Amino acid sequence: MNPETLVAVNVGLPVVSALAALLLNDKRIRTAIVSLSALVLISSSVLLYQAGGIVFSPGHVYEQAVVVLDFTLLLYFLYAGAKAKSLPVIGLGLAQIIPAAYFEFVVKGTHVQNIILVDNLSILLTLIINVVGSIVIIYALSYMEEHEHHLKMKKSTQNKFFFFMILLLAAMNGMVYSNSLYWLYFFWEVTTLCCYELIRHDGTDEAKKNSVLALWMGLVGGVGFVGAMFLGYNQVHSIALTDLMAVPEAMGLAFALMALAAFTKAAQFPWQGWLLGAMVAPTPVSALLHSSTMVNAGIYMLLRIAPAIQGTNLSYIIALGGALTFAMTAFLAIRQTVSKKILAYSTIGNLGLIVLCIGINTALSNTAAVALLTFHSVAKGLLFMSAGVVENKIGSRNVEDWEGLMDMLPLTTTVLIAGMVSMFLPPFGMLLSKWVAVDAVASSPLYIGLPLVLLVILGSAATTFYYAKWIGYMTVMPLGLEKKKDEELEGPYKLSMIGLLALNVVISVGVAFVINKLVIPAISSAYPIVVSTTGLTVDLGFTSFPVLALWGGIVAVFLIGSRLAGSKGGKVAAPYLGGSNVPGDYTKYRSTAGGEFDLSVSGIFLNASLDEASLEKIALYIGVLISVALILVEVI
Amino acid sequence: MNPVSTLIAVTLALVTPIIGGLLAGVDRKLTARMQERMGPPLVQPFYDVLKLWGKEPMIANRMQPVLAFGYLGFALVAAGLVTFQQDLLLILFVMGMADLCLTTAAVSVKSPYSYLGGRREFLAMLSYEPVILMVDIAIFLVTGSFTVAGIYAYGKPLAMVLPLALIALQFVLVIEMKKSPYDISGSSHAHQELVRGVFTEFSGYTMALVELGHWAKMATTLMIFSLFWAPNPVIGAAISLGMFFITLVVDNIYPRLTWQNMLKTTWSVGFVLVLINVAALVLGGII
Repeated sequence: MNPETLVAVNVGLPVVSALAALLLNDKRIRTAIVSLSALVLISSSVLLYQAGGIVFSPGHVYEQAVVVLDFTLLLYFLYAGAKAKSLPVIGLGLAQIIPAAYFEFVVKGTHVQNIILVDNLSILLTLIINVVGSIVIIYALSYMEEHEHHLKMKKSTQNKFFFFMILLLAAMNGMVYSNSLYWLYFFWEVTTLCCYELIRHDGTDEAKKNSVLALWMGLVGGVGFVGAMFLGYNQVHSIALTDLMAVPEAMGLAFALMALAAFTKAAQFPWQGWLLGAMVAPTPVSALLHSSTMVNAGIYMLLRIAPAIQGTNLSYIIALGGALTFAMTAFLAIRQTVSKKILAYSTIGNLGLIVLCIGINTALSNTAAVALLTFHSVAKGLLFMSAGVVENKIGSRNVEDWEGLMDMLPLTTTVLIAGMVSMFLPPFGMLLSKWVAVDAVASSPLYIGLPLVLLVILGSAATTFYYAKWIGYMTVMPLGLEKKKDEELEGPYKLSMIGLLALNVVISVGVAFVINKLVIPAISSAYPIVVSTTGLTVDLGFTSFPVLALWGGIVAVFLIGSRLAGSKGGKVAAPYLGGSNVPGDYTKYRSTAGGEFDLSVSGIFLNASLDEASLEKIALYIGVLISVALILVEVI
Repeated sequence: MNPVSTLIAVTLALVTPIIGGLLAGVDRKLTARMQERMGPPLVQPFYDVLKLWGKEPMIANRMQPVLAFGYLGFALVAAGLVTFQQDLLLILFVMGMADLCLTTAAVSVKSPYSYLGGRREFLAMLSYEPVILMVDIAIFLVTGSFTVAGIYAYGKPLAMVLPLALIALQFVLVIEMKKSPYDISGSSHAHQELVRGVFTEFSGYTMALVELGHWAKMATTLMIFSLFWAPNPVIGAAISLGMFFITLVVDNIYPRLTWQNMLKTTWSVGFVLVLINVAALVLGGII
């Protein structure tokens, strides 16, 4: 198929399925729509990968349609702001609609030669969006049934929910194909809309409050885009991204504004609030926002402009912002007990790491950024999906209640642990980040490189700490614990979790293939190729990573270990409790003072050493400073 | 690599538990002498492990023996990465996997002592990992490579250019060997508040596996330290044995400290030492 058709399918089909899901509010029809569009979207993204890139413009009628839809959308935002009595939303909405109208109807500057540009970066993003995104939406089929059952809802509102979930895929695809800043801006705003509606889906006060927060933070990015359009048009009489990138010296401020927009979507400090607030939404929303959509929009934007800002101070400030976000979130995550909050902080931190890599802006660091983005999408999808299942099945988000999970939900727990381990397993997790941090010292002045390295080192140590701690909760096997429930998973749950787990294993073992065929092509148009792979090793120049040897070692260790455990076996004995164990009851012990005591154990949260309020305050100040510096460095 | 050197590398990796076991024997003997006791024979640790292996198997849960073997297994993989001259960060990472097996096994048992030990072992990892990373990066700045092979290719002794980094590693060794003042997650003898910490719930053959793993890790760590005088392995070995001896002396004269102290000391002293070292090299025009 020709790429033009595939582009149309990737944007158009989700819109059609979303509308169908909205109008036909029936479980069976919805399942059919979602499965079918997942099938088509996954195939069409693979076909697009085979077909390769393309540059073209759709007809005039589409341009007009985008203008109409864009102003409708902005008016809706104003309405939403007025209804919620939110000054930031109204202010930021007006700050867009007035200049945008001026730009459209007075300057008449929105037309560009090549509206659509599909290159290898867009193709990789489409693969992530369509594959991971579709799997998450399949998962949502089971989740929302259970969710509405828990809430004892009389009338299902799933049609609206699935409408925005599927629409988000269309908006993301449209965004990564747009070369026209105006189109890019439009799709960007559609993602903001979907996010706003999905967060407030449950309609609680907290959900409404958090959705408004997400809305105004999203609109900050929109204002940035409108500013960038004006600056671009003033200088080069075009708002095509390629034209702006052609004169990077003149476009500094425009890129700074886009970077600011990217920071808001990628939830970098101080813009992390909306993503943390988004966890009030049903879990599939988090799974979608954190893995393949929303947050990736910010990363995509930075990757787009990165070649044009190489070696600038702007680039270094982006790196510093990412590094600070990474280190601080890791320490904030240590303190959390709510599963979704730990995961939210881990997303923000990982994005910080990716932002850091893009900011360092060398060939190697950008390779790392794209690789991290790919692996993070899959792993985070897995983590949220399985965490959601646990929450629905055992009814608690508090990870300290997850004792004995391995006995109760073996499949889900395995998926959860696989997701966690792959977040810091070499070569795509924390290890890659350390290699890159070192590249930062080697490639930038020492006064920039050293602080970055320090932040990465501290952040990655803390990251290992909170993941290790969490794995610890799930693998506790208390004796005498009665099985609460057998693990019975509905079809869509099983299909989506096993599917994504399989994908995770395939890309982990075949990391050399992923780097060769997906990651390197995505950046090779702007950067030289510095990473080589031979199938057995990934060679970074100053070091190499023996992929298959290490995987072989890991598998061998666990195989031999299981065999040994099987042959030696052993009688299961009660733990040592200081006093004497109460026979038949593993949860009590007798002390020398007499009487029976309950056994309880608890984790370390460093509450005394790290005060959350002051950490958050520091994060806010530093974040604001970084965002101001982003703009100031280009104004001066 | 030719077949002979491959064979040597494999053998060297596999004998790390034996080297570590002998060092444990030396440890007992020397510590006894410092306390004016006779001490057991040099090979006593091996007798202990053999006896443990023959005991009636008792486990706390079905995951525990697999993870106990994982501790030993990953320590051996790490040793192999050293002898095959691979990446330093990768070695550190695999050592971390070994530690993760031990701590996960410890906290998989709902026992207050093993739980407390496991939690404190996390803190120990949090303390020394950044310091080792800093040292690795300093090595990279000097040699331009991250691999053990790169250290050999550099040709000159690292100890001459990175003496302060070596001092920082001394702190790491104390924590790694679970010696006073930082034997807070479990040590070779019982302590009142945590019994034997992470080791509490192991017994029989699982305890034997953990002992072997601990020895392999200790020997691998000392092997890495000996790279600081790569051109001459004898001097290299002398350096790491010297650090081993200092650890024993410190163990016998210091009382235990808290984890807060451990974290603060290793981060502040460790970082400052490495940073001063790097700054001196930059000012001196060496890097």
